[in-house]
Amino acid sequence: MTKILLIEDIPDNAELVRRALSATDYEIIHAADAETGLQMALAHRPDLILLDLGLPDYDGQTLAGWLREESTLNATAIVALTAWPEETARKMVESYGFDGYICKPITKVRKFVSQINSFLKIHK
Amino acid sequence: MPAHTTAAIKLIPASHFTFEQLTAIYNQTRVDYMVPMPMNAARLAEYVATYDVKLDHSLVAATPGGEMLGVAMLGLRAGRAWLTRLGVIPNTRRNGVGQALVAGLMEQAAQLSIDFVMLEVIKHNTPAHQLFLKFGFREIGELLILRRPPRIPPLDPIVADAERLDRADALRLVGRGRGAQPWTNQSESLFNAYEVSGLHLTLADGSRGWLVYQRQKFILTRFAFKTEAGDPATVAYALLSHLHYQYPRLDTHTENIQINDPHLPAFYEMGYVESFRRIEMWHGIPPLNLS
Repeated sequence: MTKILLIEDIPDNAELVRRALSATDYEIIHAADAETGLQMALAHRPDLILLDLGLPDYDGQTLAGWLREESTLNATAIVALTAWPEETARKMVESYGFDGYICKPITKVRKFVSQINSFLKIHK
Repeated sequence: MPAHTTAAIKLIPASHFTFEQLTAIYNQTRVDYMVPMPMNAARLAEYVATYDVKLDHSLVAATPGGEMLGVAMLGLRAGRAWLTRLGVIPNTRRNGVGQALVAGLMEQAAQLSIDFVMLEVIKHNTPAHQLFLKFGFREIGELLILRRPPRIPPLDPIVADAERLDRADALRLVGRGRGAQPWTNQSESLFNAYEVSGLHLTLADGSRGWLVYQRQKFILTRFAFKTEAGDPATVAYALLSHLHYQYPRLDTHTENIQINDPHLPAFYEMGYVESFRRIEMWHGIPPLNLS
């Protein structure tokens, strides 16, 4: 089963993602901070990591840097979840080795699911 | 959500709350920010210690019934104060909470006979910017928050006579005439920080300068730097080449670099990217010891 690790500190946002992806067959696992997210990524080797850029211990860019250092996660897509303006998001994504980004807030569930599907297909 | 009149807003010293409680309030105020910068209790405690935030002079806003509305903190150093971490919980905004918090902090500063107050506001946070203008703050300039990912391969360091500085030697340099600095980059911030060290370089043409920084577990941060002789961009490039050669696996986060800083071109050449901008604002006349 395709596994998605969601790293998001705000419970409402995490719940929204879970609900949005509830109609899919994806298994969603969740971490609320960067250190836990790194541990879970290493333990579960998800197919995709959906990473909020604003986390309470280390931010999403720093975490993406750690994740990209891990050879066991070479097959994992890392996607930023961010409310930053597109231009800034693009710069950060390119610099820190993300595979792409999804803009917050998530308002269109179908579009969000389609974006996730695309990242998974691209990465396979 | 009922409107809160100023009379219905209770201001409570932040020292009445634990770091966990303050963190929870602060994070709630930022959930809808473009750059939310959430914290955990440990990070907030470090922030308070590094930036001389005084919780007994900082304020939490609540209703008389105990519903949390917002928070604002006050940093205090010789002859100056710093307004920081101001935030109002989203569903309670536009009811005078921010105004009550700012007025409360200005009053705290006045009671301590401090009439110079500094702050930074995220660029494009129009409501906060307008609020500060209303209180008589004036714009000083724009500040850059820059990042450099660890993925960039390190360059060979520029040939120079390089001297590593331990904490004591590094801190001896930071107080020396760097001009007016934003609060976060003032000497005291580095004096308060742990794992501070530095680097002094002299280039072949006699240019020289230094860089002091904090090395955290995964990131390099809190930069202070000065060119003692020569072109600042050249000296900064050399300093950064040595720094990133030494720490190729660390992420770098440097904040509040003044937009007209002559060292700035070196940061861009070295792969730093702009994260976002803040506007620095002052209220009152700066003391002479602002460095």
